[in-house]
Amino acid sequence: MCSTCVDRIFTSGPTSCPVPHCGKTLRKKGFHKAFFGDLKVEREVDIRKRVGEVFNRRQDEFETLLDWNNYLEEVESLVFDLVEGTQKEKAEAEQKLRAYRTMNLRDIEENRKAGLEEADQERRREDEEKEAAKRRRLETLREEQEAKLDVEKSRRDVLERMANTDEDPNIISQQAQKVILKKSSARRKMADTATESNGSARDPNLTIRGLKKKIAPVLEKPYDPFGGIDLAPSRYALQDHYDNEWLAGAKNDARHMAGGYSLKEYYARTMFEAFSGLGVFIEEEVVNRGPPVTSPAVATAAAAEASGGRIKLGHKMELDDVF
Amino acid sequence: MKFNIDDLPVLFPYPRIYPEQYAYMCDLKRTLDAGGHCVLEMPSGTGKTVSLLSLIIAYQQYYPEHRKLIYCSRTMSEIEKALAELKALMKYREEQLGRSEEFRGLGLTSRKNLCIHPSVRREKSGAIVDARCRSLTAGFVKEKKERGEDVANLDLLEPHNLIPNGVWTLDGIMRYGEEHKQCPYFTSRRMMSFCNVIIYSYHYLLDPKIADRVSKELSKDCIVVFDEAHNIDNVCIESLSTDITEDSLRKATRGAQNLENKIMQMKDTDADKLKNEYAKLVEGLRDAGDARDEDAFMANPALPDDLLKEAVPGNIRRAEHFVAFLKRFVEYLKTRMKVRQVISETPPSFLAHLKEYTFIEKKPLRFCAERLTSLVRTLELTNIEDYQPLQDVATFATLVATYEKGFLLILEPYETDTAEVPNPVLHFTCLDAAIAIKPVFERFSSVIITSGTLSPLEMYPKMLGFTTVVQESYSMTLARRSFLPMIVTRGADQIPMSSGFQVRNEAGVVGNYGRLLTEFAKLTPDGLVVFFPSYLYMESIISMWQGMGILDEIWKYKLILVETPDAQETSLALETYRTACCNGRGAILLCVARGKVSEGIDFDHQYGRAVLCIGVPFQYTESRILKARLEFLRETYRIRENDFLSFDAMRHAAQCLGRVLRGKDDYGVMVLADRRFLKKRNQLPKWINQALVEGEVNLSTDMAAGAAKKFLRSMAQPFKASDQEGISTWSLRDLERFKEKQEEEAIRALQEESANAGDTMQGIREGNEAVVNEVAVGNAADEFDDDELEAEMMQMGGG
Repeated sequence: MCSTCVDRIFTSGPTSCPVPHCGKTLRKKGFHKAFFGDLKVEREVDIRKRVGEVFNRRQDEFETLLDWNNYLEEVESLVFDLVEGTQKEKAEAEQKLRAYRTMNLRDIEENRKAGLEEADQERRREDEEKEAAKRRRLETLREEQEAKLDVEKSRRDVLERMANTDEDPNIISQQAQKVILKKSSARRKMADTATESNGSARDPNLTIRGLKKKIAPVLEKPYDPFGGIDLAPSRYALQDHYDNEWLAGAKNDARHMAGGYSLKEYYARTMFEAFSGLGVFIEEEVVNRGPPVTSPAVATAAAAEASGGRIKLGHKMELDDVF
Repeated sequence: MKFNIDDLPVLFPYPRIYPEQYAYMCDLKRTLDAGGHCVLEMPSGTGKTVSLLSLIIAYQQYYPEHRKLIYCSRTMSEIEKALAELKALMKYREEQLGRSEEFRGLGLTSRKNLCIHPSVRREKSGAIVDARCRSLTAGFVKEKKERGEDVANLDLLEPHNLIPNGVWTLDGIMRYGEEHKQCPYFTSRRMMSFCNVIIYSYHYLLDPKIADRVSKELSKDCIVVFDEAHNIDNVCIESLSTDITEDSLRKATRGAQNLENKIMQMKDTDADKLKNEYAKLVEGLRDAGDARDEDAFMANPALPDDLLKEAVPGNIRRAEHFVAFLKRFVEYLKTRMKVRQVISETPPSFLAHLKEYTFIEKKPLRFCAERLTSLVRTLELTNIEDYQPLQDVATFATLVATYEKGFLLILEPYETDTAEVPNPVLHFTCLDAAIAIKPVFERFSSVIITSGTLSPLEMYPKMLGFTTVVQESYSMTLARRSFLPMIVTRGADQIPMSSGFQVRNEAGVVGNYGRLLTEFAKLTPDGLVVFFPSYLYMESIISMWQGMGILDEIWKYKLILVETPDAQETSLALETYRTACCNGRGAILLCVARGKVSEGIDFDHQYGRAVLCIGVPFQYTESRILKARLEFLRETYRIRENDFLSFDAMRHAAQCLGRVLRGKDDYGVMVLADRRFLKKRNQLPKWINQALVEGEVNLSTDMAAGAAKKFLRSMAQPFKASDQEGISTWSLRDLERFKEKQEEEAIRALQEESANAGDTMQGIREGNEAVVNEVAVGNAADEFDDDELEAEMMQMGGG
C-alpha cells in the first residue's frame, strides 16, 4: 500500500482492513516503510524481530556449545514455521512463542537490558576510536604545516642575511641548510618518540586481533550473611516428590495440608538428617592422635556402601569429593 | 663451473659468474642456514633466477633434509622461463656429477592451460574449463562410476601412475600427458608432495581460496621464493578484496534460489544425504578423525583456526535454514546498494547495522563460506560456475565477520563523479597486506623475497609484517658504464618539467616533453620506450602534441606505437614495434607505467636503447580505496602518506627503467623527466642510484641530449667479452682469487682482534709491574701496527 493511501484511510484512527473479507482492525502505527526490496524477506525479518525479542538467550547462559547450537536451531525452526509453515504449523508456533514468553518473562527482560548495554558500549568504543584517529590526523597535519612554515622562515632569514650582511652567501646558505636538516630530523625524532609513548594502538606489534571482549564488571551482589557458604546440599538433590506409602496418605489428606503444612519441609529435614555426618571421618580427625585403623579410602568405600540404600533417592552422590 | 660456498659445493651451469651473483648466493645460503626470511634486491638482467635455482638446488641435494623449493613467480612467461632455466641446470648437474639425481621439478598452472580433454580444452574462458573439468572429475562422479553408472570417460582424466623423475616444463608435461592419457593438471597436483621443486604463480600460495586447496599440505621446512616480488603487497591485498555489484547480487539470488530447489529435490529423493551432512555439522566442521592438527596444514586467513574447532552455529545447520539465511543477507546487500551516496564504513559498524535490520549475528556469518562449500558438496552440484557469485558473497560474509581491522567497506554508487546513471559497487577492500601473507610467513621457515627493484628495502618487512635475517641490495659491477641514468628537470627554455597536477596541461610543459621526445627520437638507434603515469594523461598529451605538430616531427625519425588497455591491441603493437626495431630506423612505444608493458616485457638490446619516464608515476590519489589504505598505513604501520605514495611511484619508475637493461652486454639510456625526481633519487634502487653521476641529475633537454649522444657514441665502440673478464664476469680462477683474498682478510681481521685482545691481556697481567715495562709494551704494539700498515700498503701496490 502506498503511503498516501495509508494516510487517507487511517488518519482518523483504527479502521478495518481495506482488503475485502479480511475484517481485521488496523492502525496507522502498524504500518512502516519496507526496508527490503523483497517483501517476503521483509515479512520474515518482521517475524524475526518478534521472535528475537522473546527468544533472546545468550550463549553464556548455556553450559555447552552443543546446547547453545541446539537452542539456536530450535529458534530458527520456529521462525521457519512462522514464515513458511502451513496454517496449523503457524498456529502451533505462535502458541509456543506465547507460552515461552509467559514462562520466561524475567529472563527475557534481563537479557534485553544486557543486549542494549552491550550495543551501547560497542558504540561508545567505536566513537572513541574514531575520535582518536581524528585527533591523530589533525596532529600530523599540524606538524606538517609547522615544518613547512619553519622552512619558509629560515629561507626568509637567509635572504635577509644575504642582503644585510656581507658574509659569503655560500656559507650562509650552507649553514641554513644544516639548520633545516637538524630541525626536521629533531622533529621527526620527537614525533617518533611521541607516537611510541602514547600510540600503542598504532604499533602493529601491540595491537592484538581477536582479543576476547572484557567481561563487564559483575553487578554488586546483595549482602550474603553466610559469607558465600553454599547451603544447598551437595550430596543429594532434593526432589519435589518422594514415593512413600505412609506419606502419600498425608499428602492427599486435607486435614494435614490445610494448616499450611508443607511436605517439602519434611523431605528436606529428613534428607538432611539422613546425610548429615556423611563425609565426616572421625579417623581422619583422630589421625594426629594415633595411627588410623583403616585408610580413608576404605572408610569412604565403606561409607558409600553403608549409604547405598539411600543413594537411589539422591540423584548425585559424589564419592570422591571427600578429598 | 663448480665452486664451494663455505662447505657447500655449488654447480653453476655457466663458465662465468657475475660477482653480484656470487654475493647473492652467499647471502641466500646465510639466510637458509639461519632459517629466516630475507629481502634481496638484485639488479635486473644479472641472472637472478639461475643463481637462486643453482644455490637452492645445491643446498637441497647436499643436506640430508632435502628441503623442498616452492618458487613463485608472477606471470606465465616467467614461470616458463624459470622452468627452462631449471631444466638446463639439472642437465648440467647430471653431466658434471655423471649420474642423474633423484629429482623432480614441476610447474603448475590453471586447468585451462593444462587440459588435454578433447572437448573441454577448446573452451575459451578459464572459468568454464574449471567447471567442466570439475563436473568430470569430482569425487561423487567417480563414485557413481564405480557403481556402474554411465559417466563420461574419466580414464582420460585421472592419473594412473605418477610421472618419472626429471624436470617437466609445462609443454613437456602436456606432451607426456597426451602420450600416456593422463591429465597433466592432476598429475601436477598429485605430484606436488613428491617433487623437489614446484614452480607456480603467487596466487597458489597467497589467495586463500586457492591456497587452501592446492598448497596447504606443503611441509614446514619448504623454501619459499617470491620472485619479481616488488608488487607483492598489491597481490596480497587483491587476493582478499572483493567487489560486489548489483549484477553479482542478482546472480547470487538466483544461485540461492537454485540451491533451495535442489534441497527440495534432494529431500524427496535422497533425504539421507542431507541428514548425514546435518549430523556431521553437529559434530564440527572437520570431524574428529581428521582433526586439523596444528602442523598438517597451512592456516587460511579466510578460515581462522578457531572456527575449525567450533561447531557450525545451530541456526544455519539445516540446509533450508542456511539458504534462507543467505537470501536474507543478499537481500540486505541489495538494499544497501540502493543508497545514492558514498559510504565507507568499518566491518564492526557494518555488522551492527546488519544485525539491526536482519538479525544476522556475527558468528553464523563467519561460518558462511565453509557452510556453503559443505552444502554444495552434499548436493553434488557440478555446474559450479552458477554458484560463483554466491560463493563470492559468502566469502565476503566470512571475511567481514572475521576481521575487525584491516578491512573497509566502500560503497560507490556512481562510477565516476560526474556520472548520472548509478552503477553501485560495494568494494570490500583489504587494507593490510600482512593478513594474506601471514600464514606463509608463519608456516615456512625460509621465505625469500627478491626482485630487481625493492628499494627502500625496509618498506616491505614493515608492510608485510615480518622480520628479516638478511636484507641486501646489490650494486652492478660493470666493465664499462653500460647504462646512463639521467634526471631531466627542465626544457631547453629552462621551464621546469613536471607532470604535477597544476602544470601538467600547460602548453609550455607539454611542449617541452614533446621536444625531449623529439631529441631522443633523433639520437636513439632502434627502439625507444616512453612511459606515462596514466592512460588519461597519455591520451591528453598525445592529442596536444598532435596539435603542436610534434608528432609529425617525430614521424620523420621513428614509427609511433601506443599501448592501450586492451591486451590484444597491445600485443599487436608490441609485435609491430619489435619488427620495426629489427628493420629500419626503429620505433617509439608509448606506454603506461602501471600497464602490462611496464611489467614483465623485456626490451633487451635493440628493442630498447632508451627509456623515457615522463612524469612521476603516482597512483590516482583521489581513489577512495587508496585514501583508505594510506590512512590505514599511517595509523597502523606509521608509514606517512607521502612516503608511501612516493615509494610506490618510484618502484614503478624503477621497474620501467629496468625494462631496458637486460644483461651486462646490453646498454641503454634511462631518462627520468620530471623536476620531482630530484628529491626522490634516493629512493631508486642502489644499482641505478650508484650509476647516477652528480653532474647528470639536474639537466635541461639539450644537455641531456648531448650527454646521451656522447654515451651512445662510446657504446658503439667495439666491446669484447674478454674486456669484462675479472671485473664484471668471473671465471673460476677469478672467483678463487677473490675467495682467497676474502679469507686472508678474514684471517687478518681475526689476527688483529686476537692481537688487540692479547695486548689488553698483557696489559692487565703486567699492570702491576714497572712503568718502564709498560712503555716497552706500548712500543711493541706500535711497531706491530706499523708492520701491518706496511703490509697492507704492499698489498695494495701489488694489486
